[in-house]
Amino acid sequence: MAIYTVGRGRVILGLILTLFLLVTLDLRGNPVLDVAREGFSRAMAPVERASDVATNPIDRAWNAYQRQDDLERENAALQDQLDRQRGTQAAAEASIIDYQLLLALNNLDALANIDTVVAQVVGGASNNIDQIVEINVGTNDSVAIGMAVVNQGGLIGRITDVNQTTAKVMLVTDPRYSVPVEILGGTGAAATDDVTVSTSPSGRTDEENDALVEASQTPAPGSPGDLFADDPELPQATDPFGPGVLDPTAPVDEQVPESTLLPPAVPAGGGDLAATTTTTIPIPELLEKEFGVLRGNGASRPPQIRFVQDIPSLAILQVGDLVETSGGSSSLAPPNIPIGRVINRADRPGVAGPLLEIELIADLEKLNFVQVVLFQPLSEVGG
Amino acid sequence: MLATLLQSSLVRLIPVGMVVIALQRTIFTDLLVAGVILQIVLAFVAAAGATGGSERGAVAGFVLGVMFDLVEGTPVGSTAIAFTLGGVIAGLLALIAADPPWWLKALFVGLGAAVGEATLPVVRLFIGETDPWPADMITVVAVVGVGAAVMSPVLVPVSRWCLKIRGPEWTAPAEADPI
Repeated sequence: MAIYTVGRGRVILGLILTLFLLVTLDLRGNPVLDVAREGFSRAMAPVERASDVATNPIDRAWNAYQRQDDLERENAALQDQLDRQRGTQAAAEASIIDYQLLLALNNLDALANIDTVVAQVVGGASNNIDQIVEINVGTNDSVAIGMAVVNQGGLIGRITDVNQTTAKVMLVTDPRYSVPVEILGGTGAAATDDVTVSTSPSGRTDEENDALVEASQTPAPGSPGDLFADDPELPQATDPFGPGVLDPTAPVDEQVPESTLLPPAVPAGGGDLAATTTTTIPIPELLEKEFGVLRGNGASRPPQIRFVQDIPSLAILQVGDLVETSGGSSSLAPPNIPIGRVINRADRPGVAGPLLEIELIADLEKLNFVQVVLFQPLSEVGG
Repeated sequence: MLATLLQSSLVRLIPVGMVVIALQRTIFTDLLVAGVILQIVLAFVAAAGATGGSERGAVAGFVLGVMFDLVEGTPVGSTAIAFTLGGVIAGLLALIAADPPWWLKALFVGLGAAVGEATLPVVRLFIGETDPWPADMITVVAVVGVGAAVMSPVLVPVSRWCLKIRGPEWTAPAEADPI
């Protein structure tokens, strides 16, 4: 059996010093290490695929054992949530369409103008520190480092490493992640108001709504729930510039009335319009924005927003306020991507400003299909 | 030099290391225990140290750590430093016993893995990351250590084969001639 000697101690010390040298070289950027990384990743790909196939039965058995009770509870909760959302989904979709059209009308950055690439999550982080997932698109699909990644819920992270066919996504919960955000003050109160309608404003039957929900679960270009759809179509959105809805010649601040009045829906297969109702969704009188920087805080802790100015004369930031990306010339994410809602506010002494904790809309533990937003700010493209 | 390289333990260590890393990146990302990912690569390095001593544990940690960094995208050498230290600590078993029982090997494999896992955030802090500490650091280190100890009965024989180490052979002393 080997015993510890001075010579062996020198070997260990030499190895550790070599590792420090490698770390220094890699942090400064070294093409040799980059080539080695690319080559080894390619060499590992078939081994990982074989390992995935061979261990799949064990993985399934373990998940079945661990998560059976959780799945039953989650199924019941999701069914209840689905039932509630059926009634409000169509009304919300119409509002989003109208908003995007307003932005496009005034030549403002609109999510509908940005191309996306659909990807699937194929792997996760292998250690207990990084919050990173791997997706199956790369430079072959025009993906670049820094691009934002979203799913049906909202922002989930950004691209931090990319090769030809795969890319790594740093999640919002990673402590190294940060993004400029805006907090829509006053939306916390609006979110608690009951906007559930007594009739289906779209005029669709329950079966049609079920089909719509199923279609929204897999991303498809142009789907009603797709924020990045080019021309999503809904029955009530066919004439957005109709009388009483929008006036293209009026200034922007006069185009959004105090309440958004949706045009009456046409029932499926025609029918008596008197049988349907219009829906009024009240918009808070004060809808001012505060700006800050959202930073990840680890897997088990909610992300935090700092550097909030908190000007009470403009808006009172409270629990439930909606948080979305603010965009800007240096932000890697385009504006108006929903992120989450404020769940906690901690006031700090002095001029530090409040600290806000956020509950993400997207469920980062159940990522499957995502979209890479092919957006680069002007500072990145040199324009 | 090529002959020396081919006869060294690297010929076995590298392909076995690739398989272990593949297992880490596939099934072990889902096999969470108390919300913690078990570190089979680190456990294998610690097993190599417990089997072959601190020097061989350091070599195994160096090789597997660099491979892990190359495939994970972390700075090359960052994880390897933690793995090397884990292998060195596990290799201190050789100072205690020449032919340790299985439970003592498991203990040192767990100890080496725990030290390696605890060193990882320190290395990340050294290379400039802010707040690399997991929220429940103590739980993570404990679960990784215990998990490595549990996996040691499988990993120790594999590491012994990779490092081309023969088990000790006890021979009876020669009987003295009475005349």
